[in-house]
Amino acid sequence: MKFRKFLNKNGTRSLLATLISILIGLIAGAITILLVGIFDQKLGLREAWKGIRLIFFGLFSDGVDKAGNLLFGFNTTNIGDMLFRATPIIMTGLSVSLAYKTGLFNIGASGQFLAGTTAALFLALKIPTTVVPAWIVWIIAFLGGMLAGALWGALPGLMKAFLNINEVLACIMTNWLAANIVTWVFEGSGLQCTEGTKTQVIWKTAHNGVSNPKFGLDKLLPGSSQVDGGIIIAIIFAVLVYILLTKTTLGYELKACGSNRHAARYAGIRDKRSIVLSMAIAGALAGLGGTLYYLSGTTEFHWQTYMALPGEGFTGIAVALLGACNPIANIFTGMFLSTLDVAGSKLSFFTEYNEYITDVIIAVIVYLSAFSLFIKLKITKWLKIKEPSKLGKPEEIKAPPAENTRKEGEA
Amino acid sequence: MDEKTEKGSPYVIEMLHITKEFPGIKANDDITLQLKRGEIHALLGENGAGKSTLMSVLFGLYQPEKGEIRKNGKVVKIKDPNDATALNIGMVHQHFKLIEVFSVLDNIILGAEDTKLGFLQKKEARRKVKALSERYGLAIDMDAKIEDITVGMQQRVEILKMLYRDNDILIFDEPTAVLTPQEIVELMQIMRNLKAEGKSILFISHKLNEIMEVSDRVTVLRKGKYIGTVETKDTTKEELSRMMVGRPVQLVVEKDEAKPTDTVLKIDSLTVASKIHKNNAVKNVSLSVRKGEIVCIAGIDGNGQTEFVHALTGLEKPVSGKIELLGKDITKFPIRKRSLAGMSHIPEDRHKHGLVLDFTLEQNMVLQRYFEPRFQKAGFIKFSEVRRYAEGLIEKFDVRSGEGPVTPARSMSGGNQQKAIVARELDRDMPLIVAVQPTRGLDVGAIEFIHKQLVEERDRGKAVLLISLELEEVMNLSDRILVMYEGEIVGELDPKKTTVEELGLYMAGAKRQDREVKE
Repeated sequence: MKFRKFLNKNGTRSLLATLISILIGLIAGAITILLVGIFDQKLGLREAWKGIRLIFFGLFSDGVDKAGNLLFGFNTTNIGDMLFRATPIIMTGLSVSLAYKTGLFNIGASGQFLAGTTAALFLALKIPTTVVPAWIVWIIAFLGGMLAGALWGALPGLMKAFLNINEVLACIMTNWLAANIVTWVFEGSGLQCTEGTKTQVIWKTAHNGVSNPKFGLDKLLPGSSQVDGGIIIAIIFAVLVYILLTKTTLGYELKACGSNRHAARYAGIRDKRSIVLSMAIAGALAGLGGTLYYLSGTTEFHWQTYMALPGEGFTGIAVALLGACNPIANIFTGMFLSTLDVAGSKLSFFTEYNEYITDVIIAVIVYLSAFSLFIKLKITKWLKIKEPSKLGKPEEIKAPPAENTRKEGEA
Repeated sequence: MDEKTEKGSPYVIEMLHITKEFPGIKANDDITLQLKRGEIHALLGENGAGKSTLMSVLFGLYQPEKGEIRKNGKVVKIKDPNDATALNIGMVHQHFKLIEVFSVLDNIILGAEDTKLGFLQKKEARRKVKALSERYGLAIDMDAKIEDITVGMQQRVEILKMLYRDNDILIFDEPTAVLTPQEIVELMQIMRNLKAEGKSILFISHKLNEIMEVSDRVTVLRKGKYIGTVETKDTTKEELSRMMVGRPVQLVVEKDEAKPTDTVLKIDSLTVASKIHKNNAVKNVSLSVRKGEIVCIAGIDGNGQTEFVHALTGLEKPVSGKIELLGKDITKFPIRKRSLAGMSHIPEDRHKHGLVLDFTLEQNMVLQRYFEPRFQKAGFIKFSEVRRYAEGLIEKFDVRSGEGPVTPARSMSGGNQQKAIVARELDRDMPLIVAVQPTRGLDVGAIEFIHKQLVEERDRGKAVLLISLELEEVMNLSDRILVMYEGEIVGELDPKKTTVEELGLYMAGAKRQDREVKE
């Protein structure tokens, strides 16, 4: 009976729906690998089997032995890479989640990510560390990236609040504005950090000695990964967003405004301010995604590639939806998607497969996560069929409780 | 259809000993309802008495734990709404199920379209709908979009939807809750036409006047239990309300003479623009409300009352005029500051303005005061205090819900949603109470309760500004009546010296008086 009750909880059903989405996605990936393996002469079943194992256990891949068999084991470099790559998408995921919980759909995370990246890189590279201590430069770059993201998020917010322009359309616009502004800014910046034999001009904050604090994670997870304190900061932000949304009056206002703008206004909540604020906070979070990623010091930024939009913004939507827009759940969904990312690179290292197969898996999971509500409904229905009388969804109950305070006269 | 059984039973639908449980609640407890062929059968009960649950059982949305359903004497199983449709059972829901951007015709045929090679065949449908609308006196414009037509017209579309599907058992779920008085009169006529054509009607309502007027028999439910079935002609409103509530109900509010003192609200030539047309919705309205009186603005819906209230409460900006609350000019105040200056507001539309439906009951209870030091510290909500406060209000105002303070507002019945709003607003203890249609769609028990509360507030020295469309409420409750017609106050009446007929003449614009605002 207790188990039933547990199953009937809303959160449990959400979690189940997510896990089912993930499982179906992984199976779809495995099938893809199998099919590609069967029909490609280079690969064959042996490679396919290797591929499937890597999809499920790529995080624990430990290279290959002399015979070409896969080795598995606990590998701190993999874990470090996973955490490092999770950082930006947790942040963009938080951005999308916060907007969603306050009634907005932020598909502008890519643009905000770029805005944050640009500001952070510029500040981190332009302020000479010979004059200002590196850690102060880091703080300035961190705040700068956050503010730039906030500004970029506030733009569609302003347009929605004052001109009633749908935020999705405005976000598409600000995304491409950001992509083009980045190109323009870096082309004319005069900042050149060429490295060795690389022909492209690249930007790396390590050139100026600025990088994220490590918080001892590099010692905890020794190896060649890029892991740094970014992941800790991302987790702290996830907790902060959770607290903001569930415990504060500001969160109450933002959510009220998001789910019923008229009622919020009636209650004296400034609805326009709330919309702009929601988008600005969402923008700040996405901007921090870019900031934390590039302030690692060793990550190379190639602006030429940003004629297109960075994928982190859109992966953020997947992170958010997969986690039912719960900030705490976003930590895990972010890590899960970066685990797939690591698995993808192992796939291309150790087999003849292309790493983009993991994108197929992610795509399937994202599709399914959009369906997670549907899956949730199915779960509910399935549970109901098992025990019809006890499991009414509370939402459907219109009748009063059995005990009530009204005095009963005779009929 | 089996001819013999059809003749064999006088009942077209029988629901026998239906029991439906939800966690912690018996929503229907051994309920029997028998609908005769060609009758209008009213199902009466308070909000939350189990009417909707019973109809959902009939419609296949819920499966009962006990009991059976018979059609024409034969036991039938209704597992989902498709089964109900196959049995020619149709329902007009309280909140219409129409697609706003589709035309009337498209809405009627939706789900029952004729197609040829995948293309819609609308000609035949158009002919059939036209024939039906003429036969039953249901005037509609088939090519108008739903979003452009009135609520009464939308309801006719819903009725035509049922007729188009050849339904002969028609369920009306509180059909008059959303209608204006004129539309209600029209609907009653439509129902009689349907009955004359041999349709059987189940009419769910808690408005006694309508039940007395149109129904043949009445079945009464209370708190999920079957109370009884009576012939309408053998009963009275008083008896029905006693059956429904379980105790005698005062249909008329008891109150003493008002003893108004100081002016609380003073409005001087307020003019508000209309959102629909170019003229002003409210023209040059001046009035004042004093401590200890209930002033009612009466009028037919759409004569500027909504805009007037919006300008008064700050939801809209007036074109010109001055609003003074307790001697302070609040014309330029934003909403929050206005309400803190001494104004409670029970809004007209409880779903649009009154509640955040996705929030829980307790979150809604603090909607107007979550920012007070009592409920927050440094921006963090004090959840235990919110819970305690909400529980207090729930008990004091008898707000009933499935899970108490944590019930999602959306899942509560309309009457209890309204009670929650009234509780929240009255508990703020403000000198001015603006109550807009505070009893809209409520049952007699809840109406009696809210009326009592408003009179009590008046006697405690509050100024009450009531905006109402219900003549009965206007006559019963108010100490002074102001009639609004086309955005103007056309008359000030004393409820003790006037009649419903005279009031009606003012409301229809047939009569007006020149008046000066009392200082």
